[in-house]
Amino acid sequence: MSGKISRQILLYGIVCLAILAVPLLVDNAFLLNKYARYLIFGMLAIALSLSWGYAGILNLGQAMTFGLGSYCMAMFLKLKTVPIHTGSDGLPDFMVWNNVTELPWIWVPFQSMPFALLAGMLVPALFAALLGWFMFGGRVAGVYAAIITLAAMVVVNLIIIDQQSYTGGFNGITDLAQFDILGLAFDAYSASTYYLVAVCLTVTLFVALVVSRSKTGLILQAVRDQEERVRFFGYDVALYKTFIFALSAAIAGLAGMLYTIVMEFASPTFLGVPLSLSIVIWVAVGGRQSLLGAMLGAMLVTGVQGALSETEAFLETWTLVMGGLFVLIVLFMPKGLAGAVEALLRRIPGGERKGDARPAARQGSKSQPHLGGAL
Amino acid sequence: MNRNRRNFLKAGAAAGAFSLVGFPHIWSKNASLAFAQDGEIKVGVLFSLTGTTAIIEESLNKATLMAIEEINADGGINDLKITAVVEDPASDPATFAEKARKLVLSDRCVSVFGSYTSASRKAVLPVFEKQENLFWYPTLYEGRECSKNVIYTGAVPNQQQDDFIPWLVEKFGKRWYLIGSNYIYPKEENNYCKKLLEGLGAEVIAEEYVPLGHSEFSSVINKFRSEKPNVIFSTVVGDSVVALHRQYRAAGLDPATMPMASLTTSENEVAAMGGDAAAGHFTSAPYFMVFDSPENQRFVDAYRSRWGGDKVTHFVSESAYFQIHLFRQAVAKLTAGDIGPLAIREAVKGEEYKAPQGLVKVEPENLHCWLRPKIGQCKADGQFEILTQSADWLEPNPYSAYPNQKCTAEGLKEV
Repeated sequence: MSGKISRQILLYGIVCLAILAVPLLVDNAFLLNKYARYLIFGMLAIALSLSWGYAGILNLGQAMTFGLGSYCMAMFLKLKTVPIHTGSDGLPDFMVWNNVTELPWIWVPFQSMPFALLAGMLVPALFAALLGWFMFGGRVAGVYAAIITLAAMVVVNLIIIDQQSYTGGFNGITDLAQFDILGLAFDAYSASTYYLVAVCLTVTLFVALVVSRSKTGLILQAVRDQEERVRFFGYDVALYKTFIFALSAAIAGLAGMLYTIVMEFASPTFLGVPLSLSIVIWVAVGGRQSLLGAMLGAMLVTGVQGALSETEAFLETWTLVMGGLFVLIVLFMPKGLAGAVEALLRRIPGGERKGDARPAARQGSKSQPHLGGAL
Repeated sequence: MNRNRRNFLKAGAAAGAFSLVGFPHIWSKNASLAFAQDGEIKVGVLFSLTGTTAIIEESLNKATLMAIEEINADGGINDLKITAVVEDPASDPATFAEKARKLVLSDRCVSVFGSYTSASRKAVLPVFEKQENLFWYPTLYEGRECSKNVIYTGAVPNQQQDDFIPWLVEKFGKRWYLIGSNYIYPKEENNYCKKLLEGLGAEVIAEEYVPLGHSEFSSVINKFRSEKPNVIFSTVVGDSVVALHRQYRAAGLDPATMPMASLTTSENEVAAMGGDAAAGHFTSAPYFMVFDSPENQRFVDAYRSRWGGDKVTHFVSESAYFQIHLFRQAVAKLTAGDIGPLAIREAVKGEEYKAPQGLVKVEPENLHCWLRPKIGQCKADGQFEILTQSADWLEPNPYSAYPNQKCTAEGLKEV
């Protein structure tokens, strides 16, 4: 068991180091910006893998928490701009357009950076905790929980579009200042922003790993597989589920904050249905029961998507091609790429897997099948 | 067993293919600094070919590409061919931002022509402002923007309303009902409309906003019936405009006494709702497909022979077309070594072009265009009948509803 864990940590570490090394090889503002964006999608996939892969909560509204984080950061950065398009006194331009005369109370605390950074994670987490408390306390599970998450996201999305004097409405919050902290400037196209994202991704990945390996993680997997039995043992199932749901939301919120820095705007489409369902697809492709698999799945799918849509031959059909690829993967690799790779490694005689041949280790992995291999 | 092995092979092959296409440019470095190279000059074309706004944006893409082909067939600009890099932003603001970055930073385009909605323009704006590139935006919009990195070739509120509103008041009366989709464009248009109506002594009896994509107008139509406005000023956009017109007609209301006046209903929207539903209503725009000029005859003929005899041209596709020719004229004034986004911006200031709608000009102060507004009434065949046109071109004033603000070459000024 312990050999397996350290191999997993090693593998995760190598991947993170490789991600951190990218700016050494790539000296191109566009690519760094694009790859930073893919890394953020990787974080989102980790968030969903935690709740879906480990706790069995299919969150179709993951983009809601992502969008909330994104808006928190956008509100903070907006208040730092000189509103060049209106020339008015410290009010965001879209508020002036909507005849708002003083800063709404909800915006006031976002003048403080520590508050904004905390809010970017805590607001989504609180939202999720509240929603989770309702759902899991009421023993709503499975497809019904999925529908509620989707509905909640649509509601928040509609409110943001409708309350345009406070949120910028359909156009979102645009024309933002550059993010800087402790004298470090994070230009969206610079290596520094890439590193910021990569470090957050690494921390997120390892936090998620620790949680998934902890007692809480084990209980959650048990809940996923046999909820009634776990409840019978006396565990507060709703509490565990709410915890992982909120943690997943906090990660998504962090990803959302980074996304605003990288994209230089926030838009209601960040908490839209298309993005939210894309996250599910990334995680399904990568392998939902593997944090690393889900993360790489997101980066791979969005990378292929970008490359395909930039290829002239696929200019008008790339969405169709992507759809076809997903169908194939779901059909032939139900556990995603991570599951396929693991099965492939198990096939290779000898080699890296020798340790597993020991009866004890084999037994261990049999009694806890979902801990899987190194991925 | 065998079956399983086959699965793994497939999985491996798929994974391999993914990693090959996933990061194809990992070693690429920035290209050299000149914009005009190897006898070509690269421009970006950024209109959605998929997604919710694809129908209208495809027509803009086609008009843009056609203009580029014309110029290249004519020998290019000072022997430089224009190479169009076409990207599909899929009607999604985030994808717009990503593709704009690719065009500006990776492809090093000297200008990008694109986008239809304000939301997508707002999403790409930071890229052009930070990278000092130039974006050409063909759509009518709400104004209130004063970017030094955008050439606006569509109409702003004063250009569509200055003639239109007084004309309607005189012809139909002073009780107005304002209905719009709930976002910034209708609100800004209405802000200016209310200002004009106040000056004319007319009355706004209702101002109502429906959610974007709204398609159930029966309560709105009941209010039309009970309030009996003289004019319904509609800034409803997208699919909602089709629903509104169809339900208006189905309710048996009469455009002769209670017409809808729109700034966005073009031949394109009329084609979607059917001429019957649109007949009798009014639109103000700088261009209609039926406009009688040799330039427009040539434009419509070329467009139809290039893209299909059933295609319509409209006031946004006309702007998408003529802005390429403004670009050509600006670049032609520069020597190859000087060609760059900011040099083109300086060169296009004050530039005039005989567009299908008539002679247009880029205003040097605010980079919007002097246009020639017309008032059209829709007919059952889906075309408009042009009733009046402004005597002269009309100055663009993106801050028309806010007399204390003025967009200048140095940026926004408080007056």
